[in-house]
Amino acid sequence: MSIELLLALTTGAALFGVGIYGALSQTNLVMIMMGVELILAGAMVNLVAFWRFLHPYTPAGQMFVLIVMTVMAIEMAVGFGVAIARFRAKGSVEMEEAVELKG
Amino acid sequence: MTAQMFFIGFFGLAAVWFGIVVFRTFSMVRSALALLFSQTALGAMFLSMQAEFLGVLQIMMMATEMSIMAIFMVMFMMDPGGLGTMEMTHQKRLSLWAGFVSFVGAVLVAIFVDWGPIAATAPDAAQQTVDLGLELLGRSMLIFETAGITILTAMIAATAVAIQPIKRSS
Amino acid sequence: MTTVLLLVSLALGAWMVAVIEEWTTSGRFRLAAPLFAGIALLGRESILARKPDRLFFEVAPVLLLLSAVLAAAVIPLTPNLVVANLATGALFVNAALVYVLVALLMAGWGPDGAYAMVGGWRFLGQLIGYAMLVVMPITAVVMRAESLFTTDIVMSQAEVWNIIYQPLGFVLFFIAAMALAFLPPFDLPIAKGELAGGVEAEYSGVRLAVFRLGRLALIITLAAATVVFYLGGWQGPILPPWAWSALKIFGVTIIMLLSGRMMPRIREAHMLAWFWKLGIPLALLNIFIVGVLVLVLPS
Repeated sequence: MSIELLLALTTGAALFGVGIYGALSQTNLVMIMMGVELILAGAMVNLVAFWRFLHPYTPAGQMFVLIVMTVMAIEMAVGFGVAIARFRAKGSVEMEEAVELKG
Repeated sequence: MTAQMFFIGFFGLAAVWFGIVVFRTFSMVRSALALLFSQTALGAMFLSMQAEFLGVLQIMMMATEMSIMAIFMVMFMMDPGGLGTMEMTHQKRLSLWAGFVSFVGAVLVAIFVDWGPIAATAPDAAQQTVDLGLELLGRSMLIFETAGITILTAMIAATAVAIQPIKRSS
Repeated sequence: MTTVLLLVSLALGAWMVAVIEEWTTSGRFRLAAPLFAGIALLGRESILARKPDRLFFEVAPVLLLLSAVLAAAVIPLTPNLVVANLATGALFVNAALVYVLVALLMAGWGPDGAYAMVGGWRFLGQLIGYAMLVVMPITAVVMRAESLFTTDIVMSQAEVWNIIYQPLGFVLFFIAAMALAFLPPFDLPIAKGELAGGVEAEYSGVRLAVFRLGRLALIITLAAATVVFYLGGWQGPILPPWAWSALKIFGVTIIMLLSGRMMPRIREAHMLAWFWKLGIPLALLNIFIVGVLVLVLPS
């Protein structure tokens, strides 16, 4: 068990935890998206750590990180699209006010 | 303690600290830029894990992404400057527990799993870039093309959702 | 040693840019003026705006200077004078220069002033326009060099400079670089005439001195990057490499500062429309042409 790998995985776990907290506790759509970004960032750290310390000669590990970056960008684009539509229709992006989404 | 260990720990700590600042500050621009510096610290961490291309790419992409996030925060928040110290959280206790439990769970898994032999060396940066390029245009080409198509779809979807509905004047 | 040499040449370059800029705007050619202006700024009171975001206000000028210097660190002035010859050099230039945007956003938000904030957010819009036009021409350059090392990019131009090999890419990169350095006609975040200085408006004294120095360093770095990517870097007959680098950078700087001077400031929306509807298709065309050339021409 190497200390470096453990350090990197702990960082990933901590970012994941902070992201979960943010995504669940914030009432604003944009802040929730920040939480999701942190969760994805935690995943990226783990991927890079696994690539470096377990399979450094497999470039597919690095490619996986690129895909996660793509997911981040897509999440931002669609999230902001929804936010703009919501703001235009209701005048705010607060989640507490989106009661009509409750079944 | 090696230099690599120190840098991974240092930048990891910085990333987590800035990540916490995101949800602790009342100023929205500060919040977005704290997220940016969290991601930049991650980029530096990638660099200290010898993933040079990924590190530089992360540092470059996140600066743009998070700055755009900042302007959306200012657009959609009632109090972007954070002068009113408005409370903007709900179910705080539940979220804290969820975050804490997932952190502890992930760390426990990381500690107790046998990861097998640790690789001592990694290919040098130039070789990595070549390998990554060949991987992207070789074995993983289909996956990468799919990612491109997905981005295109997301762009069209986001534009379609966000565009101003045309009001017909009667 | 190389670091010291680079910093000295950056300082000389910044001084040169200041002299040329004064010459192109007011027609007066005074070699000592920038030094006196700098000393005068250091002596002046550094006013703090009311209710500033203190952290951003202090960090912004330093970050601007830092990003320009970091970008310069991977640019080779002679075969040996390069501080960090990274395997991802061409990408690193981009990565460092994106932080110019972050610095300007901070400078715009920090002092809590209307003009400054308008200037800062304007630059974000400007980035949406120019960012692709910086990256895509560099992609074409890298395709020809088959390497991200900046030194390899220079060596790939030993026979034909990239300005002849891919003139379209050069024009696009040059315009995008001017937008990145917010030189006229793209000086939207500063906009002396309409925003009273924009992001600079609330700065004074030492902070303004650092901010201006950062801007000068940014211009000289971009000129050096243009030389490395398109004008064959240090290569040339008879003269030693450093002299060729200096001459070319000098020339590019003069053209950069002169060309926009007589044009009216372009409006944000028009700039975005031109850059996206015309610039990006041309950049893609450039990548395609270079791809065909790389395949067809014997290397």
